[in-house]
Amino acid sequence: MRVGLFIPCYIDQFYPQVGVATLELLEKLGCEVVYPPEQTCCGQPMANSGFEHLTKGCNDLFIKNFEEFDYIVAPSGSCVLHIKEHIHDPAGQKPPEAASSDRTDISALPEFANFPTANSRHNIPGKIFELVEFLTDVLKVDKLEASFPYKVGLHQSCHGQRGLKLAQMSELMAPPFSKPQHLLNLVKGLELVELDRKDECCGFGGTFCVFEEAISVKMGKDRVADHIRHDAEVITASDMSCLMHLEGILRRQQSKVQIKHIAEILNARL
Amino acid sequence: MSGSNHKDHAALAAEFNKDEPRVDWHDETLWWVRQKRDKAAARVPEWELLRDTASHIKENVLSNLSGYLRQFEEEATRNGITVHWAADAKEHNEIVLSILSRHKIDKMVKSKSMLTEECHLNEFLHEKGIDVVDTDLGERVVQLAGEPPSHIVLPCIHLKKQEIGEIFHEHLGTPKGNADPQFLTHAARLHLREKFLTRRVALTGVNFAVAETGEFVVCTNEGNADMGAHLADVHIASMGIEKLIPQRRHLGVFLRLLTRSATGQPITTYSSHFRRPRQGQEMHIVLVDNGRSVHLGKKDFRNSLKCIRCAACFNTCPVYRRSGGHSYHTAVAGPIGSILSPNLDMKKYADLPFASTLCGSCSNVCPVKIDIHEQLYKWRQVIVQEGYATAGKTAAMKTMNWVLSHPGVYHTAGKTGRWFMLNVPFTVKNGFNTWYRQRDMPTPPKQSFGDWYKKNKK
Amino acid sequence: MNESSNMATRNSRDKILGTVHGNQPAPRELPPLPEGTPIAPADLAPTFITALEAIGAAAYIVSGFDRIATMLHEQFPGARRIVTGCPQLNAFAEAAAAAKGLDPHMLENVELAILPAHFGVAENGACWITESLMVERALPFIAQHLVLVIPHSSIVPNMHAAYDRIAVLEAEAPANTYGFSTFIAGPSKTADIEQSLVLGAHGPLSLTVFLLDENLSDAGYF
Repeated sequence: MRVGLFIPCYIDQFYPQVGVATLELLEKLGCEVVYPPEQTCCGQPMANSGFEHLTKGCNDLFIKNFEEFDYIVAPSGSCVLHIKEHIHDPAGQKPPEAASSDRTDISALPEFANFPTANSRHNIPGKIFELVEFLTDVLKVDKLEASFPYKVGLHQSCHGQRGLKLAQMSELMAPPFSKPQHLLNLVKGLELVELDRKDECCGFGGTFCVFEEAISVKMGKDRVADHIRHDAEVITASDMSCLMHLEGILRRQQSKVQIKHIAEILNARL
Repeated sequence: MSGSNHKDHAALAAEFNKDEPRVDWHDETLWWVRQKRDKAAARVPEWELLRDTASHIKENVLSNLSGYLRQFEEEATRNGITVHWAADAKEHNEIVLSILSRHKIDKMVKSKSMLTEECHLNEFLHEKGIDVVDTDLGERVVQLAGEPPSHIVLPCIHLKKQEIGEIFHEHLGTPKGNADPQFLTHAARLHLREKFLTRRVALTGVNFAVAETGEFVVCTNEGNADMGAHLADVHIASMGIEKLIPQRRHLGVFLRLLTRSATGQPITTYSSHFRRPRQGQEMHIVLVDNGRSVHLGKKDFRNSLKCIRCAACFNTCPVYRRSGGHSYHTAVAGPIGSILSPNLDMKKYADLPFASTLCGSCSNVCPVKIDIHEQLYKWRQVIVQEGYATAGKTAAMKTMNWVLSHPGVYHTAGKTGRWFMLNVPFTVKNGFNTWYRQRDMPTPPKQSFGDWYKKNKK
Repeated sequence: MNESSNMATRNSRDKILGTVHGNQPAPRELPPLPEGTPIAPADLAPTFITALEAIGAAAYIVSGFDRIATMLHEQFPGARRIVTGCPQLNAFAEAAAAAKGLDPHMLENVELAILPAHFGVAENGACWITESLMVERALPFIAQHLVLVIPHSSIVPNMHAAYDRIAVLEAEAPANTYGFSTFIAGPSKTADIEQSLVLGAHGPLSLTVFLLDENLSDAGYF
C-alpha cells in the first residue's frame, strides 16, 4: 500500500525528528511511504481564525499532492480532522438554493463556489488518517519493537480525541477506550501515569495561543502541573502543537520534563 | 456595558488572570461542579439516550414553533393566564412596567430569569422608580454588590464567602467578618422573607412552558419563586419563545436532564407547575422574541435555541473556568453565550466566538446536544465576513495564505525564519512577541523535515 | 390592559408568529420517549428513601397516622402553630378548613405543615403534591418545617412514570387537574456561597416524608 506522508508545517520546520520517526515507523510496519515535497499546510490556522474562505490555495495544493495515494497519514490529529471536515466544498453537493435572507450562511459565499467538492474523485476524507488511528485501525498493530523505559504522561489532544475519536471522552457516559494508550502499552518499559484531568485542553488552540495569551498559558501551566504532580518524566501526545505549547512552558519553568511526540516513542529503541 | 468602548474577552480575561490563586480557586470550584454532573449522569444508564431524546424533542419544537406558540397561547388563555407578546427587550420591559403601573405598585420581588438580565429589566425599572429585589440568594448578593451575575445557575460563584460576608455586613447588618455560609444564608432568609410578605408583585422566569396544557414550570432549590408567586397579587412570568415543549410528559425527559447537568443533583427541590392563577390573583406571561425569531432562520446557528440554560457548558469549559463570567461582558456567558450573543449584536460580541480553543467538551455535556463548538467555528467565519476582524489579523492571515499556497515561498520563509531564530534570537525573543511572554520558543533545527527527506530518501 | 397596549402586543404577536413561521426548519418528528431503567417493586421504597436522605430529608415507613402524630410530637415539641391537610391529624393540629381561604400571608407563622402527597419518585426522592392537597399554595413553602405523607405503595420509579401517573390522576378526579402543583424533593437549600450546601433557604428548613404502609405492624417503622 502506498502511503502519502503529510507532515504538518510546524513539524516540518521545527520538529523534523517527529517526521523522521513517523516515516521510519511506517516503513518498519511494512508501508511504502512517499513524502510529496511540494506540500505545505492543511490551512487550519487560517480557517480556525475565521478565514476559511482563504484556504482554497492550501486545499488545491493538498489535493494535488496527495490524491494519488492509497492512504494519507499525518502525525497530527488536528490537521487530519481539519482536512477531513473542510477539504470539500462547505456547501457540499446540495443544489443551489434561491437567494436566502440568511446572511450567516457562509456556504453561499462566492469564495466557496470553486472549492473542491465532496464528490470529487479524490476521496481524501475517506483515506486520510492520523498516525495512531492508522496503526490501530488500518495496520491493526498489536506488537511493537519499541522500548521507552520512562514514566510517561499522555496528553489527550482535543481534536484527535473528540474529533477523530481516538479515545473515549470523559464527558460521555460510554465505555472507555484509548487508541494511543493501546499503542503505548506495547512499548517495553513504559509506565503511563494517571492524571487528575484526563482530557482537559492544553490551551494551544491555534491563534488562540497568542490572541488569548493569558488564558492559553494558564491552561498550559495547569496541564503541565498535573503531569508533574504525577511524576511524569515525559509528556506525549499525538499533536505536536499541544506539545510545542507545553514545552514552551516547561522550558520557561526550567523543568526537566521532556516532551516527545507519540511517533518518537513508538519508534524508540534502547 | 457600553457599545464599542468596552474591553474584549482577551483583555478582561488577562485582568482576571492577574490573581493566579484566585483563578485556581474559581477553576477548581467549577471543575468540581462538572465532576458532580459526571457522577449524576453516570447513575442514569440511559443518559446518552435521554440527551438524544431531548435534542430531538427540541428540534421538533423549532420545526413547529409557530404552531406550538399558538397552542400555548390558546391553552394558557383558557386557563386564565394573560398572554403578552414582546418583540424585543424594550417591549418586554414596558409590558412589565405597564402591569405594575396599572396596579399602582412600585415594589416587587423577582426570582431568577436570565431573560430579564438579557432585557436589562432591573435597570429599566429602577429608572422608572420601581424597586426590584432579586430573591435568588446568589442574585441578591450580586444585586447588593452592584454587579451582574457571572454564571447563569450560580450567580455569585466568582465571589468568596468573605466577600459575601462583607456585602451582607454592609447592606444587611450582619456582623463584620462573619463568612459562615449557614449564618449568611439564614440572614438572607430573614431579610428576603420580609420582602416576600410585603410585596404584591412577583416576577419569575420560566424553565419550560407546555404547549399542550398551557402551563409553565419553574425550578428552584430555594423556593424563592414560589414564595414570591403565592404571596403576590400579581405573578408575571417572563419567557423566551424558545422555551416551549410540546407535551407535558416531555417534562419527564427534561427534568431528568436539567439539574443533573447543572449541578449534579437528580432534581431541584421544587419543580413548580403553574397552570391557573390563584383565586383572586392575576397571572401574566410575557413571550419574548428579542432576536430569537431571526436566529431561527439561521441554518447554522438555530440549534442554539434548544438551550435549556443548564450551564453544563460553562462548567466544563477550560476557558470559562479561567476567565470568569464577567470577561464575556454579556448576560449569558460561557460557550452557549458565545454563540447566542453575536446574534444580538455581532459587533459588540465579535470577540466571544474566539474565546475558545474549540476543544469540543461543551458539545458533549450539552443535554440537548447543541453543536456548540461547531457553531463557534462557524461564527468566526461569519464575523470575519462581516468585517469585524482586526486589520492586523486580516493582514497576517492573507500573508499566511500566500506563503502556504506557494511551496517555494513557504520553503524560503521557513528557512529564513529558522535562520533568524538561530542567529539573531532577538528577532523573536523580545517583548513584542506575545508567545514569548510566558513561553520559550522552540529550538530551531538546522534542517526541516523536507530538507532531511531530500538528503536521505530521494 | 388599555387599548393601545393591546394593539401593540397584537402587532408584535403577528410579527413574531410571522417571522417564526417563515424561519422554521423542515419538520422533525417527535421521538419516542424512553421508559427508563426499571426498578424492582421491592426496591422502589428503599431507592426513594436513599435519594431523600441524600438530599437532606428524613424518611420513615409507618403503619398509620397515630404513629405519625407520636413521632411529630417528639420531633417538634415546641411547635406553636401546626396546620395539617390530613384530616386524620385534626386532633393534633389546626385543621385545613380553618386555614383554607385565608389570605396566605396569615400563614406566615406556621411552624409545621403536614400535608398528604399523591406519590413519590424513586430516582430522586421527589413527592408530587397538587393544589387540592396543599390547603393554600403558599403553605408548603411558607411553613418553617414541612411533613409530607404518601402511601408506601405509591412510589414510581422515575419521572417518565411520574408523568404517566399524573395523567392517570387527572383522568380519575377533576380536583387533580391542578391550577398549581409541584414536585418537592427535600428541604429548601442553596449552595450559592462558595458551593457550600446550606439546608433551609426560603422554603422550609426541613422535610420529613412518611410512607404509610397499613400492612406494617405498629412496631415496624424505619
